[in-house]
Amino acid sequence: MRTTGSVRFAAALLLAASCTTAFTSYSLAQALTGQEIMQRVEDYQRATTDSAFNRMQLSTCKFGVRDSRITCAERPRVMSLESVGKNYGPELKDTKNITIVLEPAAERGIGMLSYAYDDADRDNETWLYLSALGRVKRIASGNSDDDTEPASVFGSEFTTEDTDTGKLEEYTINLLEETTESDRAVWKVEMIPNEERARKSRYARTISYIDKERYVALRVEMYDQYGKEVKRMLASRVEMVNDVWVARSLTMMNLVTNRLSNMAILEIHTGIDVDDEFLTQRTLTDVAFRETELQQLRAQVE
Amino acid sequence: MLISPRPELLAGLLTLLLSTALWAQDEPLVLDDDVSFDPDFGFDEPLFDEDFADSDDGGVTWLDNFTVRLSQQISGQINSHGVTLAQGFTLPREAETETNRFGINLRYQNPFAPGWLLQSSAQARFYWNEDYEYRAGGNRIDSEYRINELFVQRSFGQHSVKLGQQTVVWGETVGNSVLDVINTSEFRDLTIIDIEDARLNQMMLVWDYFGEGSSLSSFINLYPEFNPPAVRGSPFFFEPQFNLTDYDRDDQWLFEIGTQWRKSFEGSDIALMAAYLYENQLRYEDPVSGVGDAVGRKNDFVLLGFSANRAIGKLLLAFDLAYSHDVLADSFNFPGTGNLASPLNLQKDRIGTSFGFEYAINNDQNISLGIQAQKTLDENSGLQPGQTLVNEGVSGSWLVRYSNSLRNGDLVLSVTSQGDLDAESLLLFVGADYRFNDNWSLNGQIISITSSSDSPLVYFSEDVRLGATLSYSF
Repeated sequence: MRTTGSVRFAAALLLAASCTTAFTSYSLAQALTGQEIMQRVEDYQRATTDSAFNRMQLSTCKFGVRDSRITCAERPRVMSLESVGKNYGPELKDTKNITIVLEPAAERGIGMLSYAYDDADRDNETWLYLSALGRVKRIASGNSDDDTEPASVFGSEFTTEDTDTGKLEEYTINLLEETTESDRAVWKVEMIPNEERARKSRYARTISYIDKERYVALRVEMYDQYGKEVKRMLASRVEMVNDVWVARSLTMMNLVTNRLSNMAILEIHTGIDVDDEFLTQRTLTDVAFRETELQQLRAQVE
Repeated sequence: MLISPRPELLAGLLTLLLSTALWAQDEPLVLDDDVSFDPDFGFDEPLFDEDFADSDDGGVTWLDNFTVRLSQQISGQINSHGVTLAQGFTLPREAETETNRFGINLRYQNPFAPGWLLQSSAQARFYWNEDYEYRAGGNRIDSEYRINELFVQRSFGQHSVKLGQQTVVWGETVGNSVLDVINTSEFRDLTIIDIEDARLNQMMLVWDYFGEGSSLSSFINLYPEFNPPAVRGSPFFFEPQFNLTDYDRDDQWLFEIGTQWRKSFEGSDIALMAAYLYENQLRYEDPVSGVGDAVGRKNDFVLLGFSANRAIGKLLLAFDLAYSHDVLADSFNFPGTGNLASPLNLQKDRIGTSFGFEYAINNDQNISLGIQAQKTLDENSGLQPGQTLVNEGVSGSWLVRYSNSLRNGDLVLSVTSQGDLDAESLLLFVGADYRFNDNWSLNGQIISITSSSDSPLVYFSEDVRLGATLSYSF
């Protein structure tokens, strides 16, 4: 089963790709530093994951480049997923999320429950339902905020490090220049982890291209310790969804393995009434309960 | 006599390392600044319209509740050799095909109304030429069908009730727990089979209560089953002196009952459990008249258990503790066989533990260790002079597994080693699973067994098995 090690998933992906319209007014203000740009993105992004119900397609394939166009060089492996998340804690900085596989058939019904804590001293928790064993199993996936290697998201090229935000104080952030990306005016922001963060990171440096109007990362380049670009993420289909700018298509290219993963966020629904009990281990094992709750969630968005 | 590791262990590890090296990091591709990716990718697949369609739209049919896996397996013992069982007597072990079979696994899951679920799984096997079932059936193609699960579930409020054929699994140490004894098992192949094939479902009523941060799960088994004897012709089959038959219930009503309380803390789960059970393995005794079928003797006992896990970063520790009251002192644990010689009708208490860890080396590599140990308490009480118990002292087994996931999980290589605590047997398994796409996958495996003459596995010592399974799922 390739779900091992996956955590926080859809909520985190949305974090990486969206911002609220509040930024728009902020962008009209005085010139911002790189730190301020990323900090504001951080501050507002959580609103997009609270009480959220999403439907996604995650595709992974080997890729090729022709005429500057990236294309799959093979039939992609595809998963369809439903995800529900809700924020908790005094400042709503902790997240509970459950993701359920709809396709492929062989993995249908696999559910993963994860609790992500903002406090660096608290390990994130993940449980997976193993249908063959007939039981819920706690996963030792570690904590991407801790001294562990970031985990792959459902066996894709996305890792928790790619999707996490926060801990900006552990980075030196430089606004390199104002330029254009995909015909949009962007800030080019460099993030260099400090010594402590570098020990936990696969990347020695990242460069993000932040849409100046919509505060969406349109492109992110990840560099290794030798200064070579090892991964690149491209975002597209930036749309206003429920007053939130969201890149509904995220493509992560691993330049070492020449494999890419695309996350197509087919549906995004926020402000959903999510029963707290749905974000517990019961949902993993009690299929009748899960399906009833899911029907109620679906009814809210249809 | 202690055994030493076989060369296959080194060969397996070497294979794994070489395979891993094939996917070692290359120089990264240098991308142009202006590359782009189709923004509509993933948005125009009709497959997902169906996934997310409402059944009222007619987009989802009852067929979508089925999951099907078709598989063709072939495996055999490839090392021709002899096993010396006694001085001057060597059992020949010729290389031969053992399995050549086609399988169909069906799974049906239908939440047919709010709070209701109907779930079933079934399997069919067709035995082709050279399969041991083919030979045992008089050299003709044979088939076998089995319903594994069939239950209806009703969930309401904090409660969930399930009635029908199902399993109940206890214990934290996956695959090697002293608490995973509620379900009976069928071990008849010396290939690593899916656990749902080995674990037999039983007719149960299960009630779960989900409270604040804890849950209570209780079951009553309305028709307790026992481990079936080995199938004639299978590698585990040996010709007994008397036929091993099913237990004669003789109009008795048998039942098992148990309950488990489980609570999750931050970084840890714990559970307490208690049950009244029958030992899964019948003990077979000689027929009173000396002719006819062996007599299967059941034994009821009480199980008290505790289990816990603790996640520390990438490390997951697991611990199970079992106290069994009134188990048969000389139950013979080897699957599918019984002790036919002068059984002792002594019931004793036994304590057992299983513990282990799983460690995620990184995203792709995992290593796990599990140890199971049991000891009969007050062993010598009730024994006649000169009598000893079959499992005297501490007995148990250990299991180590390493796995490496490559190509985004499309290729998984694994090495598993299992042995007993007395170091009298060692089983080594090297496996590779390759997924071509969402439908097709191929599994390959090599299994080697080494055993001393003191182990029941001596009949399989020096055996090397090679197998492959091609599967299509939809």
